[in-house]
Amino acid sequence: MATGVGRRGSKWLAAARTPLGACSIVLLTLVVALAVLAPILWQDRAFAVDTDAIGQGPSGTHLLGTDSLGRDILFRVLVATRLSVTLAVLATVIGVTVGLVLGALPSVLPRAAGRLVISVVTIAVAFPGLLLALFFAVIFGVGTHGAVLAIAFAMAPSFARLAQTLAASVVGRDFVSAAKVAGVGRIRLLVRHVLPNIGEPLVVNATIGAGAALLAFAGLSFLGIGVQAPDFDWGRLLNEGLDGIYLNPAAALAPGVAVVLAGLAFNLVGEAVAGVVGVRTRSARIGRRSVPAAGTAAAEEHGDDALLVVENLQVAFPRPSGWTVPVRGVSFTVRAGEAVGVVGESGSGKSLTGLAVSRLVETPGVVTADRLEFAGTPLLTTPERELRGLLGTSLAMVFQDPMTSFNPTRRIGRQLAEVSEQHQGLPRRKAFERAVGRLRSVRIPAAERRARQYPHEFSGGMRQRAMIGMGLMGEPRLIIADEPTTALDVTVQRQLLRLLARTRTEGDTAILLISHDIAVVSQTCDRMLVMYAGRVVEDLLTGDLAAGPRHPYTRALLAATLELDTDRAEPLTVIPGRPPEPDRVPAGCAFAARCPAATDQCLVEDPVLESVTAAHRVACWHPQEDAAPERAREAVTAGGAE
Amino acid sequence: MSELMFDAVSVRYGGRRGLTAVDQVSLTVPAGQVVGLVGESGSGKSTLARAAVGLAPVSAGRVLLGGADVRGLPRRRPLQLVFQDPYSSLDPRMSIGESITEAMPRGAHRGSAGRRAEVARLLELVNLDPDRAATLPGHLSGGQRQRVALARALAGRPDVLIADEITSALDVSVQGAVLNLVRSLQRRLNLSMLFISHNLAVVRYLSDQIAVMYLGRIVEVGPAEQVLTDPQHRYTRELLAAAPSAHSSLFDGDLGDLADTEPADPHHPPSGCRYHPRCPIGPLVHVDRTVCVSEDPAEGAARRRHRAACHFTASDLAPTAIPRGGSAS
Repeated sequence: MATGVGRRGSKWLAAARTPLGACSIVLLTLVVALAVLAPILWQDRAFAVDTDAIGQGPSGTHLLGTDSLGRDILFRVLVATRLSVTLAVLATVIGVTVGLVLGALPSVLPRAAGRLVISVVTIAVAFPGLLLALFFAVIFGVGTHGAVLAIAFAMAPSFARLAQTLAASVVGRDFVSAAKVAGVGRIRLLVRHVLPNIGEPLVVNATIGAGAALLAFAGLSFLGIGVQAPDFDWGRLLNEGLDGIYLNPAAALAPGVAVVLAGLAFNLVGEAVAGVVGVRTRSARIGRRSVPAAGTAAAEEHGDDALLVVENLQVAFPRPSGWTVPVRGVSFTVRAGEAVGVVGESGSGKSLTGLAVSRLVETPGVVTADRLEFAGTPLLTTPERELRGLLGTSLAMVFQDPMTSFNPTRRIGRQLAEVSEQHQGLPRRKAFERAVGRLRSVRIPAAERRARQYPHEFSGGMRQRAMIGMGLMGEPRLIIADEPTTALDVTVQRQLLRLLARTRTEGDTAILLISHDIAVVSQTCDRMLVMYAGRVVEDLLTGDLAAGPRHPYTRALLAATLELDTDRAEPLTVIPGRPPEPDRVPAGCAFAARCPAATDQCLVEDPVLESVTAAHRVACWHPQEDAAPERAREAVTAGGAE
Repeated sequence: MSELMFDAVSVRYGGRRGLTAVDQVSLTVPAGQVVGLVGESGSGKSTLARAAVGLAPVSAGRVLLGGADVRGLPRRRPLQLVFQDPYSSLDPRMSIGESITEAMPRGAHRGSAGRRAEVARLLELVNLDPDRAATLPGHLSGGQRQRVALARALAGRPDVLIADEITSALDVSVQGAVLNLVRSLQRRLNLSMLFISHNLAVVRYLSDQIAVMYLGRIVEVGPAEQVLTDPQHRYTRELLAAAPSAHSSLFDGDLGDLADTEPADPHHPPSGCRYHPRCPIGPLVHVDRTVCVSEDPAEGAARRRHRAACHFTASDLAPTAIPRGGSAS
């Protein structure tokens, strides 16, 4: 808890050090100080009538000149700060309160009444703010009270609308449902769960709203329906100064500048607050990363048929505290027509490895490798333009979420055809025919009709098929599939894996299948790479899985996998502990803390991936020897540590 | 301890062109037992769970808890739900202690000291350090959050617990720990439980009975081992055969083109048996089986083994007549 508060505090401090934060603090302090002090110090001088100096220009005694009664304009502008700012803040507070109540009501009221409130707000939003203010000024009468209420009520609808939208997004979340199930009442639901979770954007908007209110107030006073004499605010001073603008421009400019500065103060504060509480990512400015000479694996012999060669691949991201390296020196080879699986838990770096190979890691991520070659072309040094053709036709990517892989506004067939138009220069018609042919080859029923449909008309499994079909528009030599079946049901998953396997044999296409499910990988691939904390810890043939993996992590993963024949009488095997965070990887073997076979050496020295046999590599100081892995069960009671 | 009973429950969304997510489902979770509910996404399993706790509108039928209609029960019901995603089911701004306290029945614990003691007891129950009650969920891992979600559900002193895909957002190594915990809690507290998952292996491990759902209907229900070793409905068999396993090949029991048919559109469920457009023993293969298209197999399902909603269940026919496509085990 204390660390949470501390982190929070340091975040504010960091924001205050940015140019924007510093500016906003200085301006706001100035405005507040003037609002408090000016009337105390200079009240008399602002009201002192000097009949000898009426309507004068700037001079030594009156820096900005005098008004029609000979009062000093500079002091009047300074003294007016309090009234101008107070009224603006007051209007904002009323407006925000009314807006918040209107915005929150629909989530408390019964459905029908809630809808009514929403409709009323929707209509009110459509009215221009100034018109609404004028209208209220007529109702409430000309004067300060009327103006405050007018601006407040003009502000309320848009604020209500914002609160409604934000509240609606929170109400849909599971924790609100959970509270409902627990029997929490509506009011408490609103106060404890909804409002705190929408507070931040509302605060930011309220601050910016205060700036707008200030401006609106100045406008009303300028028009003569705001503050009335003998009181004065900036708007009124502006109005008075305008009469003599050709004689003494300063009289009109000074209150104008004051309005601008105060408005700027509010808006900048809003922006700065948004920067801290919002989700905006600030780019961390840290030095260039020096690639650590990671314990390179013994260089593998790459045959002539090596399609993808990866040596000492690293992916790093800048964090405020320094570089974090989620992929730390991965080396492997994929031969033509081979199916290789990458297995690991979330955070093991398996997806990033796939993205790095297809050059999809976005800045500020940095990809380095001793060697990264696809079909003989180095991927890191070849210019992007030359690569595009190669990757576009020879490399296909299938992602986890079939919902977001396609452009929802275009027909499936056209999206597929585009690939051929771009990379193979096929005419439109030919390309579309090819698209239909590819859809048919990935076994989409009624491909001709389906090609003319939009992505939302496809089921999840069909969309993933179409995605593979899209990859087949070129002549792919490698398909990288990143958790392609995780969002799908078992029956659909099996169909899709079969399709991948068939595609592989028909076109001699290599497959890199990334999955958290060791069973899925062992069914589909010849070979699997087991990843842990950004490293490949074992590289073995899936056929050898039954005979016994060597790395304790692979064994633990296999033992923890539930099967249809798992003994129901026994508690399930668990792996104690949890993987290290990518920015806090220990010095020795990353798995040592959870490993039953770990010794002192494991805590100090990081093991390197070394060949056990021709087709089996393992990174472990104490590779397990016994042939059949006994399903050794931890003495676990109810759950085990985590 | 009491039983949860769905009595011909339907859940319908939208107006005339709406969608019937759950269609006349009858299912009983006997007191102190675990019923596993499996089915593919969109089959209505989660909707059924949400209907039980009042998060989805019951348009027909009743949900009975210990014989009483849940709609007549007070707001804090002895029926709790644990959600799938532990990252969204806890309020990010409330400490885990506050979240748990909120779910306690009013007046059950005297004063703040009593409530604190109860929070500590519940956290210990789910194998979490009671000193962490002031932690925000953001500082916990997925598995730890799911334990907190369990503790919160238990704070409501439920007789019946519904677990909706509670391990599908977790890694394999964490999944085992959570399942072990759920099982020991269920036994210690003698809870009745409806355990929903798309993963047959997970459901099998925990359940006394298994119910299989397809397109808003229950198509088979029976004792867990029996349903798994002697599935009556063809869809159950497909689910079993499709479960990924390191011991089986991908192409066991390949049904050819039939396997590539699309799941039916829930807005326009097929006539007769809802599974007939995908069924390998249905009218697509046996032309004479028109009864599958014309008549609803739900009629008379009670008479069949496992209440299977199928006109041609395995035990209805002579063994030779069963086309052995996919092996079930």
